[in-house]
Amino acid sequence: MEILRIEGLSKIFGSGHLEVRALEDIKLSVSEGDLVALLGPSGSGKTTLLLCISLILDPTEGKIVFDGQTIFQKNGWAGVDMRRLRREKIGFIFQSHNLIPFLTARQNVLLPLGLVGLKGEKAESRVRELLEYMEIADRADYLPALLSGGEQQRVAIARALANNAKLILADEPTASLDTARGVKVMELLKKIAKENQSAVIAVSHDERMIEGFDYVYRLKDGRIVGEKTNSTLN
Amino acid sequence: MDLAIYDLKLHRVRFIATVIGVGLLFTIVLAMNGLYRGNINEGLALIKATNPDLWAVERYRGGPFNEQSTLPEFYHYSIKAMPGVEQASPFIYYTVERPISGKSRHFSIVGYDVFGGLGGPQKIYAGRNIEQAHYEMVAHPKLGVRLGDMIPLGLHTYTVVGLTKEAVSSDGEALVYLSLPDAQEVLFQRDNEEIRSQRERLLRTLSGQSYLSQSQAEKLLPKLQSDTHIINAILVRLKPGADRTEVARGIEKWLYLSAFSTEEELQLMLKGRLASMTKQLLLFRTLLLIISVIIVALVIYTFTMEKIRSIAVMKLIGAPNWVIIRLVMEQSLLLTIGAFLFGLALIHNTYQLFPRTLLLIPGDDLVTFIVAFAGGIIASILGLWHALKTQPAMALGG
Repeated sequence: MEILRIEGLSKIFGSGHLEVRALEDIKLSVSEGDLVALLGPSGSGKTTLLLCISLILDPTEGKIVFDGQTIFQKNGWAGVDMRRLRREKIGFIFQSHNLIPFLTARQNVLLPLGLVGLKGEKAESRVRELLEYMEIADRADYLPALLSGGEQQRVAIARALANNAKLILADEPTASLDTARGVKVMELLKKIAKENQSAVIAVSHDERMIEGFDYVYRLKDGRIVGEKTNSTLN
Repeated sequence: MDLAIYDLKLHRVRFIATVIGVGLLFTIVLAMNGLYRGNINEGLALIKATNPDLWAVERYRGGPFNEQSTLPEFYHYSIKAMPGVEQASPFIYYTVERPISGKSRHFSIVGYDVFGGLGGPQKIYAGRNIEQAHYEMVAHPKLGVRLGDMIPLGLHTYTVVGLTKEAVSSDGEALVYLSLPDAQEVLFQRDNEEIRSQRERLLRTLSGQSYLSQSQAEKLLPKLQSDTHIINAILVRLKPGADRTEVARGIEKWLYLSAFSTEEELQLMLKGRLASMTKQLLLFRTLLLIISVIIVALVIYTFTMEKIRSIAVMKLIGAPNWVIIRLVMEQSLLLTIGAFLFGLALIHNTYQLFPRTLLLIPGDDLVTFIVAFAGGIIASILGLWHALKTQPAMALGG
């Protein structure tokens, strides 16, 4: 089932001689369980595209269909409660983990559950399940500052999965990790996509990290200049 | 999940230090409240304790407490003879600084007619009232005397026959009750050499007048020397059913004095001597409250700025605004309430150590709390404004 479809998406910053075309005519389709990589050098538009998909940056034109619902078209956002959509259907994994520093690993994973109203034993049980899945249950009561980079990223992934997100957006999830830990995180993302049927879109500039991804889109100057599928990769 | 509490737990040392710092400011605000109340209470205590129907004082003077009032002692006979007056007693009140038990003490003396006159102490908690015309005193324990102590004042020594806590002077100093003649003697007591030299000077002036012989000048001399039968007010008790306004008008018209009811005396003090102190304390309290709010605002702003990335993350993962508002405001209010409670506990455990009387009233504490609480909300505005305008996009990137 298709989770996300983007058609003719453009984003222009400024106007006149200051105009910058950050994205131009982006087309993208992501289905359940897809593992998608956005590759490109700095300034290619990866983060801008991620911001548009995250529903926090208004595209200039184009269409975004999310989970069967058109949420953006040329007239703007279609009366969607974007924060609600984000907390219920999208999970985020960040380059620098971005765990809440004053919450323990367990509480960090509990946070998005609380935001959708899941509390008590049900929520605790879900947190335990996720931390065990991420093999970090023994560090549940540690503050982020006491966890290693890899452990923090695993907690961040558990947090992104907490609400059974249909779409996981990962912004350079391996950038702050060494190669071995980076590979492990990417393996986890693959596992999530296959086992949870969540679509994963990961932004990366490191080609070594995206081995085994279903789709790879290369961006340059705001345009998709290359597209590979698993079949063409193999 | 209470995010504010978890954040404060992590930064508990800084939070506690801030609570103590702001709490000390609130302690001063609460002390000022107590000082203000104590100042008014002490300023009015003697008037309330004396409480005659009328105070007759020098014409156009707001005496005897708010302003100096001087009148001849014998006037009280004239007032006593007026219709509607049951009793009229001379009253003298002044402040002195004299050595008591080897220490220089500042205190006020009340002189009154000890034989049934008005103006004496009503409640003696140890000993008895003054029963002799001379050399007995009733004192406030603030003076540092005990029952039976012999206190030299001027030429004579006075025995402490009673102790009263009923009133203090309008400056909050100890009060001493003496018989009227004793009080006048202490007030007008002068050095013998000075008396002799003044007498010589006056005699020379009189002898220099061509129309006076030496013997006439010597006979006139005692009449011209300064009179010590001076009082500050006459306390009046009216007969049952007498019209106070009518009697007051009579005193003003026929004796050329001013007459005030006790309520008017209180108002004279409140609008006179006590008013400037009241305004001063109000200004200090306002300034301190503003400073407290600014400090809380800056602390909360700093706390918020430190969490700005976490706030961006929360917004990105879909936290509604109320979660952010609660986080910031709860910290601001916890800080304000914690500081207020610290200040409240501190002042209620230390108010006895202040040199001036602090009268702490629950109503004042409550009003200060309400103002501080409102201040806490205002203080969180800066942090809230910054938190709410934080873009979730800030969470992305390195």
